[in-house]
Amino acid sequence: MSEIIEVNQLSKKFKIKKNTSSIKNIFKPEYKTITAVDKISFNIKKGERVAFIGPNGAGKSTTIKMLSSILYPTSGSALVKGLVPWDNRQKLAYHIGTVFGQRSQLWYNLPIQDSFALMGKIYNIDEIPFKRRLAKLVKLFEIRDLLTHPTRSLSLGQRMRCEIVASLLHKPQILFLDEPTIGLDVTAKEIIRNLIRKQALEEDTTLLLTSHDTDDMEKVCERVIIINKGKIIFDNSITALRDSYLNKKYIEITTDSGEKIRKEINTDKTSAKQAIDELVQKYHVTDLTIENPPMEEIIKEIYARD
Amino acid sequence: MAANLKNLIKLFFYIQKSNLKTAFLNKSDAFVNVLMMTINNLSFIFMWWIIFQDRNSINGWQFGQMALLFAIGNNAFGFFALCTRGIQLIPELIENGNLDNFLTSPQNSLFLIATSEATFANWGDFVTGFLMFFLSGYVSWHTFGIMLFCSFMGFILMFAIRLLASSLAFFVSDSQRLGDNIFISFLTFASQPASIFTGWYKVIFLTILPAGLLSFVPVNLITNFSWSECLFFILAVLFFFGISLFAYHTGLKRYSSGNRFGVR
Repeated sequence: MSEIIEVNQLSKKFKIKKNTSSIKNIFKPEYKTITAVDKISFNIKKGERVAFIGPNGAGKSTTIKMLSSILYPTSGSALVKGLVPWDNRQKLAYHIGTVFGQRSQLWYNLPIQDSFALMGKIYNIDEIPFKRRLAKLVKLFEIRDLLTHPTRSLSLGQRMRCEIVASLLHKPQILFLDEPTIGLDVTAKEIIRNLIRKQALEEDTTLLLTSHDTDDMEKVCERVIIINKGKIIFDNSITALRDSYLNKKYIEITTDSGEKIRKEINTDKTSAKQAIDELVQKYHVTDLTIENPPMEEIIKEIYARD
Repeated sequence: MAANLKNLIKLFFYIQKSNLKTAFLNKSDAFVNVLMMTINNLSFIFMWWIIFQDRNSINGWQFGQMALLFAIGNNAFGFFALCTRGIQLIPELIENGNLDNFLTSPQNSLFLIATSEATFANWGDFVTGFLMFFLSGYVSWHTFGIMLFCSFMGFILMFAIRLLASSLAFFVSDSQRLGDNIFISFLTFASQPASIFTGWYKVIFLTILPAGLLSFVPVNLITNFSWSECLFFILAVLFFFGISLFAYHTGLKRYSSGNRFGVR
């Protein structure tokens, strides 16, 4: 497989004004520099599904925005589909799709089908291939009933499905997904993850997904890059990460007296079923949740092992 | 290049069709808004009509010239509001990090931003503009042609000044209000009788705040056409247009995006 994304020593620094409230600062402003991304290097092969994981402020979104041509880097280089993203914005747009969980590319007042038609025109897709492509995606993402609704009337989960369809209309080879499951409930998250994975496998789309939810990477991706404070601290397969760090689960139960009990299990030694059975036998359980260790904990552990 | 331009023009009309479709979701509302916009515009000229009833001219300017000024100004603003109003949103898009969607598109980002918003009510500006031309007393096919040309050039100038004001947001944070004030000042000075500005004021209104290019220059071209003034007008408008594009593209390199929740 050939490399479709090549990143070499890429950095991004932001200059932020200090003490904006002081009068002196109006005439002689002082700035502080924040390094959001610090000399990162990695390559991604065509068709790979890569999770870009890290806590808030780690530099995930900044990296994805540089690779998708939104931001100029401070230093370093990158090639996406053989193009320097920030120098070839319009050319690159035909090869990439972007989904930002925190904002919409659909027109707020227009029915979804009109937004799609407008996207088709923006990407210069001819009428017949557009109709064929839309029909395929509508079926895959099960959005037929939503087509006549304006964006403003959709739930977050429905909107996200439509956002992904909009970003796939021009059949991009690379899909950048920035927090696609943010704010969604458990069921909606699961649906979105399954759809993204299914589509990527079907069309051999290269995925670069950022999230701070470890479930997103486990369900969708095959490789994970963990970034913290702008630096890459882990780059390996999901299997390697699971074997090393994701063998820990937390089971939290609520008893009939309202007491909450949290138990940590190592899935290599104890199965979740076994642990739950023990808890159910011991307490009168009214509620139960199973959680992965939070991102911060995994990062702490990676640092500790280094 | 030619194919790109053809695609862009096709896309422009498609976006305009979508904007009309959105406006016609409530037809009666849309037409009432056009009527109200026309009445609102006419209230300004009515004030000048009363003034000119009292005195025949202001430093040589008569009601006919004032009507021409309003004809050009309204038509130019009509073009601006219906075709490129979206550039007013640039400061807000920068503050909220919402330029991202436009920057990942295969079309020119400025074109998409400019056409992303249109207010149907501004068809009322054209109604006022043409009405004022016919009331000016300078009606002929020749003057009608010059009026249309000046309106279009006035639109390019308006676009340039608004883009310059909006692009400030790339360099100065929270500059939405500052940008709005610059643009409003430009429009306010452009709607005064040119004859009240002489000497240094005239220089300022042809350079720093080029309101004169939207008022006394085009009115002169209609009442007393000269090729040299026409050439000056075209070059001056293109100069401001070029500077505004330069400011936008330079500013774009400083764009730092953001993560605020929201929709387009």
